[in-house]
Amino acid sequence: MAAFVIAILIAAVRFWQIAILAQLLTSYVEFIRNTPLIVQLFFFAFGLPALFSYVWPFWCHALLALTVNFSGYFSAMLYSGFLKTPHGQIEAAKSIGLRKWIIFRKVILPQTLRSMYPSLCSQFIFVFLTTGVISEIGVVDLTHSGLYIDSRTFRSFEVFIVLTVLYVFLALLFRAVLHLIFSKKLNLGN
Amino acid sequence: MQEISAALFGKPEGIIVWQLIAATRFTIYLSLIAFFGGGVVAAFICFARISPSGLAKRVAASYIWIFQSIPLLMILFLAGLGVPRFLGINVDPWTAAALSLTIFTSAYLAEVWRGAFHAVPSGQWEGGAALGLSFIKIFFIIILPQAYRYALGPTVGFLVQIIKGTSLAYIIGFQDLMLLGKRWANSPIPGSEPYLIFPLMALIYFALCFPLSKIATVLEKKHSL
Repeated sequence: MAAFVIAILIAAVRFWQIAILAQLLTSYVEFIRNTPLIVQLFFFAFGLPALFSYVWPFWCHALLALTVNFSGYFSAMLYSGFLKTPHGQIEAAKSIGLRKWIIFRKVILPQTLRSMYPSLCSQFIFVFLTTGVISEIGVVDLTHSGLYIDSRTFRSFEVFIVLTVLYVFLALLFRAVLHLIFSKKLNLGN
Repeated sequence: MQEISAALFGKPEGIIVWQLIAATRFTIYLSLIAFFGGGVVAAFICFARISPSGLAKRVAASYIWIFQSIPLLMILFLAGLGVPRFLGINVDPWTAAALSLTIFTSAYLAEVWRGAFHAVPSGQWEGGAALGLSFIKIFFIIILPQAYRYALGPTVGFLVQIIKGTSLAYIIGFQDLMLLGKRWANSPIPGSEPYLIFPLMALIYFALCFPLSKIATVLEKKHSL
């Protein structure tokens, strides 16, 4: 969720082309999207704490890394969605004297969300499926508990099959929930 | 080469930089294997998916659905640890990583290509059928030459996902950029602190992926619908 808000902000800055900030954020997004999540994760979990010598629980590092990662992906999608908004609508909104922020919130964002939500959903599922890697820094997530059971019992095949089924089930669940949320929200928008 | 790099960046750093770049080789090999292997499998799956046979269609659709819903991590664990232990055989990391990434790639590429075939207007199929051509003939003479242009951009774009995906193969002991970088970051040698190594690795991955995503964007624009 945090990632989503950040993503909207980043995409907004890029859309209005706010001088240097937009260029910086564009390179940020490109960088996030073109490096593996696991490298980012290790950097946030081991690199930064070593540099600034602070200690956080594992899940905080994971949360930070995932937020950064998700925001990169989402903002890239939203940005391309914003660009598809017909220009006439923005001009119309400007001509009736709306401020940029209002135009963005009331005119551009709802339309973009409506047209982009299938791809946002599938992107979310894709990213969700990659979150298993956070077990690598010691966060006790589904994958981690699976590995734990595996190392105790040595029954890898059974453990991984069960994990796989669970992931598939969760992916289905998320797909259904997202669909529900979006269809509700979008109907209210009408 | 290692000496040149060491002379350029100083003693520990130069060696690390060079070793990381040398390990990137395996990342690239694995990506290429996955891309071509996955491409071949995906071609069959995609062909089955759009074929007129109902059974083939359903089998292909479920293949795509299943392997798109399973995380790559799980495919890797299953191929590298689960299945070998279950069958009591030894599979080396190369085979397991190549196999998993091939499966992963094939499921996604098949879907991408199916989309490309769908983008070809159905009138083209009907026109071909009206001329009395068989399914195979329509497919290869009429549809394929049109569809490949739609598929080109997303396919190159997916190559980026494959390269990023190979970074997970270190989990089953595949010696690539990721494993080596992690090993260096864990070592107590000064000059190999994690906050230097991981950005460096990110840069190498970026250098691999960024040109590809740019090419993909250009191709997509060029052949957009």
